[in-house]
Amino acid sequence: MIDSVVQQLAWVQNPVVVARQLLAGVSNGMLLFLISAGLSLIFGVLRIINFAHGVLFMFGAFLAVSLVGLAPGTTGGFVSALIGASAGLAVLGALLEIGLLRRIYRSPHEYQLLLTFALVFILGDVAKLIWGREDNSVVTPQLLTGSTHAFGVTFPTYRLFLIAVGVAVAVALWLVLHRTRWGIFVRAATMDRGMLSALGVNTRWLFTAVFALGAALAGLGGALAAPIVAVGPGLHVQVIIDAFVVVVIGGMGSVLGALAASLLVGVVNAFGILAVPGAAVVLTFAIMAVVLIVRPHGLFGTPE
Amino acid sequence: MIRLAVPALILLGLPFALSEFWTFIAIEVLAFALYAVSFNVLLGYGGMLSFGHAAFFGVGGYAAAILMKKAGLPAGLAFALVPLAALAVSAAVAVLIGFLSVHRSGIYFAMLTFAFQMLLYTVALKATGITGGDDGMTGLKPPGALGRAFYYYYFALALVAPALYVLYRLVSSPFGITLRALRANPRRVQYVGVNVRAHQLATFVISAAFAGLAGALFALSSGNVFPGWLNWTASATPIVMAVLGGVHTFLGPALGAAVYVVLEVLISGRTEYWPLAMGVIIVALVLLMPEGLTGFTRRKDA
Repeated sequence: MIDSVVQQLAWVQNPVVVARQLLAGVSNGMLLFLISAGLSLIFGVLRIINFAHGVLFMFGAFLAVSLVGLAPGTTGGFVSALIGASAGLAVLGALLEIGLLRRIYRSPHEYQLLLTFALVFILGDVAKLIWGREDNSVVTPQLLTGSTHAFGVTFPTYRLFLIAVGVAVAVALWLVLHRTRWGIFVRAATMDRGMLSALGVNTRWLFTAVFALGAALAGLGGALAAPIVAVGPGLHVQVIIDAFVVVVIGGMGSVLGALAASLLVGVVNAFGILAVPGAAVVLTFAIMAVVLIVRPHGLFGTPE
Repeated sequence: MIRLAVPALILLGLPFALSEFWTFIAIEVLAFALYAVSFNVLLGYGGMLSFGHAAFFGVGGYAAAILMKKAGLPAGLAFALVPLAALAVSAAVAVLIGFLSVHRSGIYFAMLTFAFQMLLYTVALKATGITGGDDGMTGLKPPGALGRAFYYYYFALALVAPALYVLYRLVSSPFGITLRALRANPRRVQYVGVNVRAHQLATFVISAAFAGLAGALFALSSGNVFPGWLNWTASATPIVMAVLGGVHTFLGPALGAAVYVVLEVLISGRTEYWPLAMGVIIVALVLLMPEGLTGFTRRKDA
């Protein structure tokens, strides 16, 4: 018994394994951040839990499959897929907000939950109608394939790229939210929508823009994940659960919380797989349950 | 009397008029009617939106399956104990979850219950030795003649009808009136001297216990339980049924359950895109029919 536990934990002494898992965890965490930042922002401003966020992520991945397919393996093709997926999802997000979500901000919670839930079912099947039921893969562009050596350890280059993009997006989001007039409105809206509206800000379009931004981040995340996951109709199921866990741990509405919790969940999962094979999922839910009980508004959230 | 006698006669005569297939569907309707009504005692009367009620339906189902398959009791005895076991186990789980979540308001309560449901889902998925893991538990069958839909229907009816009666008496009692007052204004009720948290916890546990009974009834009629019963997509089912039927009537959710189950049979028999159809129905419901099928009364607390 003890022997097997010791054997299972033998990797702790191996710095190469630790470094590799850490990198895998951080890069997965960055992908999680892209989707959960949008989810959190949308909850903060619109006060809606967007269960369809995982499906938006999946749409981003599928769009990337289609766009990369036009020029497979080229850096230009991949970059345009990233931009195309984000832009496409921003448009889809804006349309969903204007066409559906806008009508239910004053409805009881159960109607809001049901509406975004219905979107999961509808968009999930629409994706099957457009892209079929098979798993697709995206070829990593030449520039990002292979591995990079650093500190005596070999890392897959694409993972490093993911981390770089995640950091860039986090910095960009911070600048937008804290250094622009629009960002001030967004942060004000998370505190008191009614007051913001009374002060003459057009909150209707602010809501549309926030939802479109959240959708674009999910789309970007999906496109970035496309080369390292199987892009199929089941992709959204696990993604939304992970993102939900992250947002709850980090604090609903807090982008900083989403970043911290994404990294935490990513790293815990990466090491959990080694420490307790098969039960890593339970770990993240256990963390979430503890956070909810001890600090119900999350690590960085504001109390209800 | 007439108002009660006619539906009672219809319910009693149903298996004579239906084929075996549709009798199974009728059993499913009974189970989900109980599920939806018990859920709505929480939502419609108590104003508490649980987004993890599928946990209790699933726990009831697993309690039945484990009792029948793993407890090593004679089939007849195990079966006889199923209703009690499902009620007791679901109630016990609900005491734990409820204790940690009922005092949270609105959307935070929904999220907490949802989180606990996902925790139980992963347990159902990973505790392979007890729950069969991903494969679920199959081959559950009531003993003897009860294995036939015709007789099992009456068994289910004999449990669902009294259960609904108990719930009805509950919401009509002073307890139920306090509950409705809580929905409207919890702070004021507290000032009157009512122990708000105890009331909410009791409602949560009662609602969960009957949801568990419904899950057990359905498990034994469908013959299996799967972890998917506790998955996040399952949380929406009782909400859809309650909202479809109307959350401001006692039996509205039962009607919603019947319409939902029959629609699912009819649509999923014709197309694999049942989720798409259901999604469109939900959107239409939310946007066009905010009071549900029975929605004549206005929302008083809106």
